[in-house]
Amino acid sequence: MTTPKPLPYGDPDHQAAHQFLVEEAALLDAADYPGWLALLTEDIRYLMPVRVTTARGAPASTQPGLGHFDEDMYALRKRVQRLATDHAWTEDPPSRTRHFVTNIRTFRTTPGELRVESALLLFRSRGDTREADLISAGRTDLLRETADGLKLARREITVDEAVLRTQNLAVFL
Amino acid sequence: MIDVAAVVSQVRRGMIPAHVYGDPEIFALERDRLFARSWVFLAHESEIPDPGDYVVRRVLTDSFIVVRDEAGQIRVMFNMCLHRGMQVCRAELGNASHFRCPYHAWTYRNDGRLAGLPFHEDAYGGEDGFARAGQRLLPAPAMDTYRGLIFVSLDAGAPPLKNYLGDFAFYLDFYVNQSPAGIELRGPQRWRVKSNWKIGAENFAGDSYHTPHTHASVVEIGLFREPKASKRKEGALYQAGPGAGTTYKLPPGGDFAGQLRYVGYPDEMIPALTQAWSDRQRALVADSGFMVSAATLFPNLSLVHNWPQIDEHGTVRPFISLRQWQPISATETEVLSWFAVDAAAPEEFKRDSYKAYLMCFGISGMFEQDDVENWVSITDMATGSMARRLNLNSRMGLTADGKPVKPPIADFAGPGVAYQGFGEYGQRHWLSQWSDHLEREPATPPATDLGAAR
Repeated sequence: MTTPKPLPYGDPDHQAAHQFLVEEAALLDAADYPGWLALLTEDIRYLMPVRVTTARGAPASTQPGLGHFDEDMYALRKRVQRLATDHAWTEDPPSRTRHFVTNIRTFRTTPGELRVESALLLFRSRGDTREADLISAGRTDLLRETADGLKLARREITVDEAVLRTQNLAVFL
Repeated sequence: MIDVAAVVSQVRRGMIPAHVYGDPEIFALERDRLFARSWVFLAHESEIPDPGDYVVRRVLTDSFIVVRDEAGQIRVMFNMCLHRGMQVCRAELGNASHFRCPYHAWTYRNDGRLAGLPFHEDAYGGEDGFARAGQRLLPAPAMDTYRGLIFVSLDAGAPPLKNYLGDFAFYLDFYVNQSPAGIELRGPQRWRVKSNWKIGAENFAGDSYHTPHTHASVVEIGLFREPKASKRKEGALYQAGPGAGTTYKLPPGGDFAGQLRYVGYPDEMIPALTQAWSDRQRALVADSGFMVSAATLFPNLSLVHNWPQIDEHGTVRPFISLRQWQPISATETEVLSWFAVDAAAPEEFKRDSYKAYLMCFGISGMFEQDDVENWVSITDMATGSMARRLNLNSRMGLTADGKPVKPPIADFAGPGVAYQGFGEYGQRHWLSQWSDHLEREPATPPATDLGAAR
């Protein structure tokens, strides 16, 4: 099986996917989480495997059977509801985040769906004196065409560190 | 130079000099007097099921390879080549028959024996110059297991693990002995937080008092079937052997099976749970009416058991997590958080329980998120000079003259002592052991040398 080539940058599907990811990042950085949830399909799978350091040629570089995230819509809604309460202390005061999205490649897979790969650098600053956190990750998304435009149906986040250097994942990637 | 006796005497009266949560001198004492002696959890046998399977774990900065050798025996070996000190294994998990040092290619079998030494004849004059036979990677000074949990101690004279666990084993079993198959451990998630390692360990040992406020948000969003935070004060806080923990009060009138169903165990698991737990363990659930929740085994292994609603239909499912507070410095901790589940549980239960875990604990868990925010803030404040002028009050549950506000629960089915309601009994129990270690002079174990001049 040969790897399909990504769509040319001028392809309208690629441009639509690119715009989707940029607009999504803007919602996340504005902490508009209800707006973000509206971009997801009801059957969303939101995954972030735990990376591990293994020898070259070892079968896997992720922990089997356990991720940082493995979410369906119920779990994501609960997270968003929680952040909207007055008692989600870890985000009060809120983090200042910037989602840098780049290296976007779009693949036409099945009709009505696009597979989109991107690189993400999340900058997260908390408080006035603490050192800021950086999380670098690759993402593989499945975007589905719906009556309301493109929606995110699946995201797999491949984080580049085995030991994360941020106090928690009260943020979305 | 720090006055250990003065610090410890404050701690023993329930007043904690605030700087102990951010003081490099205290951290050095913990390294030399506590972690140099205590049993420390490293891994579970289910993480290395087959010959050659290994994980690499640390006790502070000391890296150990935890491996199942070709004969199926668990070995724990210091991850340092005998020759020039290179790590012989730089992956964190995998399967290997041998570990070869990348520096000069000294090669060790997975039971630790030195198998390959390049140019043995030319470089050393063969066996006569340097006896290869009998050399092996340094084993952990002491290694022992309990129900598949692998512990090491850097003190060769450590008591047998079972003696150390003592009465806490009774409570540990609720988490790690749910059927004859034992648990399977998945993970860990690993992340570093700017928090002193003691804060998490103490919290899990008995801080039911923080739940109503710190964790108000998860109750507000209906993650639990009942307003759980305020229920916290009805739970029992127990201290037993080297451990302490919290429980929840179960609804009145339930029999053993009914209480297990209440916390979300499916009917298929109930026969095995009934068999796995002793009469006395079942009595804690059925007669005393308590179900274990958070706990800490001194020094830095914590456990948690909780039962959220995992879908919009209100399905309740319990989960178990083991977590380790791995000290990095006085102000930084690496958290290792595993998901644990009965290895014989139905696949559907494992899936549901995993979901329950991820929603509540681990780096993304909605409980854990708010805990760590508090602990980072405490640590940040503990490093300055004002923290040396403040003794934090850890006397909850005691009157000014040192008597318990309430007597212990008289008919509590478990060993040790237990109190109902809020109180820092568990934290003081933990700190008392911490004090015992810090007061003792450090040992100076002999060095191993090999192939030295005769």
